[in-house]
Amino acid sequence: MRAKYLILGLLFQISCFSQNKEVLYNFTSIPQSLLVNPGADVSYKYYFGVPVLSGVSVNLGSSSFSVYDLFADNGIDFNDKVRNIVNKSSRNDKVVTNQQLEVFSGGFRVGGRESRSYVSFGVYQEFDFFMYMPKDMALLALDGNKNYIGKVFHLDDLNVKAEVLSVFHVGFHKKMNDKLVLGGRAKLYSSGANAVSTHNSGYIFTGQQPGTVNLYNQIISSNLELKTSGISRFTKDEYEGNIARDIAHNTFFNGSLGLGVDAGVTYYPKENFQVTASIIDLGFINQSKDIETLTYKGTYQYQGANPDFSGTNDPENVFAEFKKAIPRDTLYNKYTTWRPTKIYASLQYSFGYFRSDNDCNCKEKIKERYRNAAGIQFFGMTAPREPLVAVTAFYKRNIFEKLDLKATYTIDEFSSTNIGLGLSGTIWKLNMYALVNNVLEYKDISKASSAAFQLGINFVFQDSED
Amino acid sequence: MKLNCINSILKIFVVAILFLSCSSDLDFDQVNDLKLEPIFIANLAYFDIPANELVADGGTQIVYDSRNFDIFKKQFLRDYLKKVEFDVEIENTIERGFVINMLLLNSKNEILTTISFVVPAYKGSPNVIKYPTEVFENQRLELLKQTQNIGFVALMTSGVPLDENSLGNLKLRSSTTTYFEIEAK
Repeated sequence: MRAKYLILGLLFQISCFSQNKEVLYNFTSIPQSLLVNPGADVSYKYYFGVPVLSGVSVNLGSSSFSVYDLFADNGIDFNDKVRNIVNKSSRNDKVVTNQQLEVFSGGFRVGGRESRSYVSFGVYQEFDFFMYMPKDMALLALDGNKNYIGKVFHLDDLNVKAEVLSVFHVGFHKKMNDKLVLGGRAKLYSSGANAVSTHNSGYIFTGQQPGTVNLYNQIISSNLELKTSGISRFTKDEYEGNIARDIAHNTFFNGSLGLGVDAGVTYYPKENFQVTASIIDLGFINQSKDIETLTYKGTYQYQGANPDFSGTNDPENVFAEFKKAIPRDTLYNKYTTWRPTKIYASLQYSFGYFRSDNDCNCKEKIKERYRNAAGIQFFGMTAPREPLVAVTAFYKRNIFEKLDLKATYTIDEFSSTNIGLGLSGTIWKLNMYALVNNVLEYKDISKASSAAFQLGINFVFQDSED
Repeated sequence: MKLNCINSILKIFVVAILFLSCSSDLDFDQVNDLKLEPIFIANLAYFDIPANELVADGGTQIVYDSRNFDIFKKQFLRDYLKKVEFDVEIENTIERGFVINMLLLNSKNEILTTISFVVPAYKGSPNVIKYPTEVFENQRLELLKQTQNIGFVALMTSGVPLDENSLGNLKLRSSTTTYFEIEAK
């Protein structure tokens, strides 16, 4: 029963979540765009997010199958569906899950009315999950080795990491002049639970070699390692508590600590031409609370029973031999994990003058003088094997003075038809935004290879509204 | 007027997102249908006895040994076992015939079942025999689940005497094919 859910869980990993926030990036009427570029050209007198509602984001998707493929009520045997998915997947299919929830956030301008320096701060909770498809392990679980004599099952297909953390951050950005905005953010990470198993190697092999004493040559060479922090006490029999509540408590109050920085820049070579770039989560966490590392390292060649008729008696026990050859070791060393670092960059061309109903507010924002903007964005993120990358083309339009629309078209590993839409509107001082991607798939969400949404509510106060 | 307009656009947007997003009929209870049926092949037992270790006059002779073999007794395997097959291959290049008995023994060393392999004497031509597959299913599978040790009795039938200069070997190679059926209970 447990094995079944474990295996199903392994398969589920293929549902992929990407961390790319292509719709939010450089959507400067939303204060949260400072979280993907601390040097974004955002201005305010002060703002604060509605607690817990200011920023909710969840991304989900899949590079090789959809929820529909697995759970469609179409009469096809479930086991056939699972087998089809495993067969058509590759070991480089991945799940990248990211969920963020802002607990609180706010910002204010420092200095007087003429100042163009801004501080922003907040706390958010984040969940990250990254896993490659353990294809060889899935094949072994589904089929066994009978039809794979001579095949090497690679243990390095097992590659997963997960973390629940809270992030306390303070950022500062300053408009140096009309052409340049610079910003940075310091982050204190508090990790409530972490699990990493990304440096595995080894193989399981069954082959036939004529002329040997055995029918099969069977070798398990294992170099497996699982590091955990904040988890091991839940696995003990004597633990009697609420895991979710304890992880939440550790995440905010008793986590492993780490430090990180974000940095970003916005530059206008010309009035209607903008270049931006940012690096997010360049940081580490020193995993130090409730740490446990499990290893299975060694090589075992399975021969089978070998009776000895000469009368000597050397008792052998397959399990004892196996455990001796590939022992389970538990270590309690601190370890360091690196945050998944994201890089964004964009080029934007603006056109079409905006005719404001209000009197000219000359000293604010160059961008608002244009009604349309179009350009391209680049996204990259570090990952255990190869970085994830995405390219986005976008169009922004200022529909009304306080209603902005952004449409994106993104190509990445998960989809080449990913169209995103975002709206940010301000009513009185209430800024509301809703961003979704992969809208084409919304006609049947269960067939979507990926989906993401972000939404939030902020109170934003500008000078003109004094 | 403008506020109204923004309001309605926002409303339409939110409603559109919620309602445009349809979903095909899904049935998550299908998880309960998940049944894994992997088939694993592994070595079972092997030996290679040179003729000169079987020094014997022309009469019959018996050698015996047993080995620990409790893998099918392990709880995590027992629960999911559906069928087990033994495949045995014997090559005899000794000028004597043999009968090899494979014994499955329980923890009290009582014989649960005996499988016999008749091996003809070597006559100069290739002498490799693949024996019919032994299938353990249903009642017979229960015997396997009680097995603690595997024993081999090699019985040499009468024929030419052997001494330390005799040539040839008696080789046994064997494998198990284990059929699992893993599903929710």
